[in-house]
Amino acid sequence: MNEEKMNYVKDPNSNERIFRTELLLAPLLILLPLVVGIIFINDWYTRDFIEGTYDLNGQLILGIVIIVGNILFDIPFIRSLRNFKALFKKSKK
Amino acid sequence: MVKNVKETFKGTKQKIIDTRDKINSIDFDAHWYRRVFHAFGASFLFYYILPDVDWINILKFWVPPLIVIIALLIELLRIKGHINSSHFFGLRLYEQKRIGSYVFFAVAILVLLRFFPQQIAIPCILCACFADPVMGEIRNRFCKTNAVLVGFVLCMFFFVFTWYKADPFLMILVGIVGAYGAVIGEAKKFYWLDDDFMIQMVPAILLAIIWFAIPYIGFSYPPDIIYPDLMPW
Repeated sequence: MNEEKMNYVKDPNSNERIFRTELLLAPLLILLPLVVGIIFINDWYTRDFIEGTYDLNGQLILGIVIIVGNILFDIPFIRSLRNFKALFKKSKK
Repeated sequence: MVKNVKETFKGTKQKIIDTRDKINSIDFDAHWYRRVFHAFGASFLFYYILPDVDWINILKFWVPPLIVIIALLIELLRIKGHINSSHFFGLRLYEQKRIGSYVFFAVAILVLLRFFPQQIAIPCILCACFADPVMGEIRNRFCKTNAVLVGFVLCMFFFVFTWYKADPFLMILVGIVGAYGAVIGEAKKFYWLDDDFMIQMVPAILLAIIWFAIPYIGFSYPPDIIYPDLMPW
């Protein structure tokens, strides 16, 4: 194992810092792209679909790509966060 | 005595398991954290939907460079040792003595939003946000060839759907050139220039050449995909 990695693991504050950074940023990283995707789809619906112009179909696809793409990465991320939370609690005991 | 040895052995074994779990969780966690951070970058496309109003235009002009400048300052402080690197979760070991890839990612997005038309900027940003992590994941699980193939198809999809209103020949040309540029940008690794920058800038430069040539080869420019929203109040 790399020496730097070893020292990092030995540092008792490392886990706490990691956990704090992750928890602090997780809601933003997960929710903001979903909100942006929903805004794109909503904008397509109100300005394009209801009016029947179909000029903003690209915006609809973009909204779907953002939402689906983010969910695909969010699920394993949340799972890893939960695993790490359990491990963190265990190591604190 | 035998009991003591057995207990010591058990304790050491447990310690090894705990340490291995910790290391694995750090690697695994940082890995998914970086992937989510990439996907999060797509949120910056919100820039294009913001209403075309004076005060919002001022914000649109100043806020993105301000974010990049703040990130650069933080990185400089980190590299000089004023901020501990362990505060930066997800940082790779080789990034500890150079500018972090998230700054390259942000600089490339800023350049694209500011200096390129949205028909070029949007697919390039999407390539960095989704194709890059997907390619990384496939490379880790399968092999490099599969990663390049899937990355190429995914990038091509982004370019084709952004240019879907263009002439079919132009759409396919842009799809192939853009995807080729993105895959080259991702595959080519430099120490001082991160692939998060290259995956966005290489296809953007290639497409800029096509963009300037469009009137000369007898095609018309495709319309925008995102139009600024109207003020809700």
